[in-house]
Amino acid sequence: MTSVIRSTAVSLGLGYFILGSAALVLFAAPLWYAWQGTIREGRAEILLADAQRLTDIYRRDGPEALKTFIDTRVSMQIAGERILLLTDANLRPVAGNLPAWPRNVPAAPGDYVIQVDLGERGGIQAAHLHVVPLGQYNLLVGRDNRLFAPLEKRFWYGLAGAVAVLLIAGLLIGLITRRTLMSRVESIRQTVSAIIHGDLKHRLPTHLSDDELNTLSRTINGMLEQIEVLVHGVRNVSNCIAHDLRTPLAELRSRLEELALIRPPPAETFAEIDGAVADVDRVIRIFDALLRLAEIDAGVRRSGFVPIDVSDLAATAVEFYAPAAELKNIALNFHSDGALPVSGDPVLLAQALSNLIDNALKFAPDDGIIDVAVRRREDGVVEIAVTDNGPGIHDAEKAKVVERFYRGDASRGTPGVGLGLSLVQAVAKLHGSALELSDQNPGLRVVLALS
Amino acid sequence: MKILLVEDNERVSQFVIKGLQEAGHTTDHAANGRDGMFLAASEPYDVVIMDRMLPGDIDGLAIVEVLRKTGKRTPILILSALSEVDDRIRGLRSGGDDYLTKPFAFGELLARLDALHRRAAGVNHDTPLAVGNLHMDPMTRKVTRGERQIALQPREFKLLEYLMRHADQVVTRTMLLENVWDYHFDPQTNVVDVHISKLRQKIDAEFERPLLRTVRNAGYMVTAAE
Repeated sequence: MTSVIRSTAVSLGLGYFILGSAALVLFAAPLWYAWQGTIREGRAEILLADAQRLTDIYRRDGPEALKTFIDTRVSMQIAGERILLLTDANLRPVAGNLPAWPRNVPAAPGDYVIQVDLGERGGIQAAHLHVVPLGQYNLLVGRDNRLFAPLEKRFWYGLAGAVAVLLIAGLLIGLITRRTLMSRVESIRQTVSAIIHGDLKHRLPTHLSDDELNTLSRTINGMLEQIEVLVHGVRNVSNCIAHDLRTPLAELRSRLEELALIRPPPAETFAEIDGAVADVDRVIRIFDALLRLAEIDAGVRRSGFVPIDVSDLAATAVEFYAPAAELKNIALNFHSDGALPVSGDPVLLAQALSNLIDNALKFAPDDGIIDVAVRRREDGVVEIAVTDNGPGIHDAEKAKVVERFYRGDASRGTPGVGLGLSLVQAVAKLHGSALELSDQNPGLRVVLALS
Repeated sequence: MKILLVEDNERVSQFVIKGLQEAGHTTDHAANGRDGMFLAASEPYDVVIMDRMLPGDIDGLAIVEVLRKTGKRTPILILSALSEVDDRIRGLRSGGDDYLTKPFAFGELLARLDALHRRAAGVNHDTPLAVGNLHMDPMTRKVTRGERQIALQPREFKLLEYLMRHADQVVTRTMLLENVWDYHFDPQTNVVDVHISKLRQKIDAEFERPLLRTVRNAGYMVTAAE
């Protein structure tokens, strides 16, 4: 991971440096070429004119006159850039300011750009030379390039300086990238690996800014939040399964073991077997309820949505429970404004309604009142409300009662495994709505709103 | 009844075969899809019990579909460890007549087999029903016991009608929930029993011989027998 960070930072810096250098070269190379070309052409013209003039003197006045002319020229000029040399056929100097014919220049007519030894006048210098043969003599005219050397030097230094600046900037970019961006990436990585190792509490660091990394971090944090909720749910459920299935299984086991050990008379044995079957049925019921919950949570049931009339569904449920209410002398009332068509799962909604009425019947006192009311609110939401005048639920308990296997103090001694309201809530969630619990003083009002 | 059981689990098979034998039925058993398909297609059975998940390449639902396509109308009860409502719907859609989830109580299986067999014998929904001196006319919705007319709520009428159509057969609480209230879930209460006792009040009270009886560990039965 470290090497990746390093290489990302380095390649970023290096890339910047290479790109900058390439731009610099693209800019400097034509400039250099144009500059050199212009100098060379200018020089060639001047030298040609000089050579022509000296040739004219030779032709008109003879070699002695030329010799005198050259001597005059050389004496007039103290440290000029001009190079003049007249030699005999054996290349021995006759006049001029060069100590000897340069060894690397042939005695043939032409232009040469070459290193020449200027002797005491300046040592070895780059020079532009023009050679003209004049009968028994050879004439060499030229200019040394001493004048341009500092300029050239400055050009190269400037270029090197610019490259150096680019190199440093590239390095800085690499370092800054590594220190800011990469350190944030690294902190994300550390958080994520902590999560991988099982600590879901961690969250990515976020700032107030809206840059991409921050937005990403916030999104990931949202995802982690959801994962934590789900994992917590799963953990909770598996704990509950362990607890609530273990109990009936333990009872069943001891019942059967006792039968095997004691071998009681047949009548008693059969009674025990009936008890064992009842224990198994209890386990199966818990299983079924959990499977149903898992199925709803997975959201696969949404495909089973059909148009249904909530009013009709509620009427059936009320009518189903009416005899049970009668037994406890509870008034089970039903209010409806007429047909309330919604799209939903008829089986699950019927089960949710049945759970709500069943709960109300459990907690309403004898001679109590239960109201089941369905209506369409002004905002178009269809509302199923079940109200009882039982003991109600403490505010502190309201959030807990929908948890799986949670059984409030009031439900001790009543049948059930603590999954009823969990199912109602899951059904509500599946239908895109929430379960609302409120106090009725005394009693509880449960509202299932279907949008 | 002559029954075919297609089921791969040996223990479940033995349990079912033994139970059916005690109830006076003869049972053929196939332990895989191939044998099951062959027997169901070639032999005349009153009812077929088909496990959904079978070893090998032929699954229970596929056999049901093939049988229906070839015109076999034998009533089929599908057995399955899959309890989700969607699975039940899929099972019935493939051509099954009833669906029972494992694990099941034997009484439940037997009651459903009886109901399937009777349904296959043909039901006229308009013919008057009679059990002993209890009479019901589905057309006029009139119910009488002896000379006395009995007033029933619509749901009570439906409940009694279902029981009378399956007279002399055990009807389980689940069957009543499914067929009378269309409830395909377990309400986890004894509300069905309360409905039955209310109905019993209306049809049996003040009569010497009760017609609506409770069958222990199974359900209810309407019968005029001793």
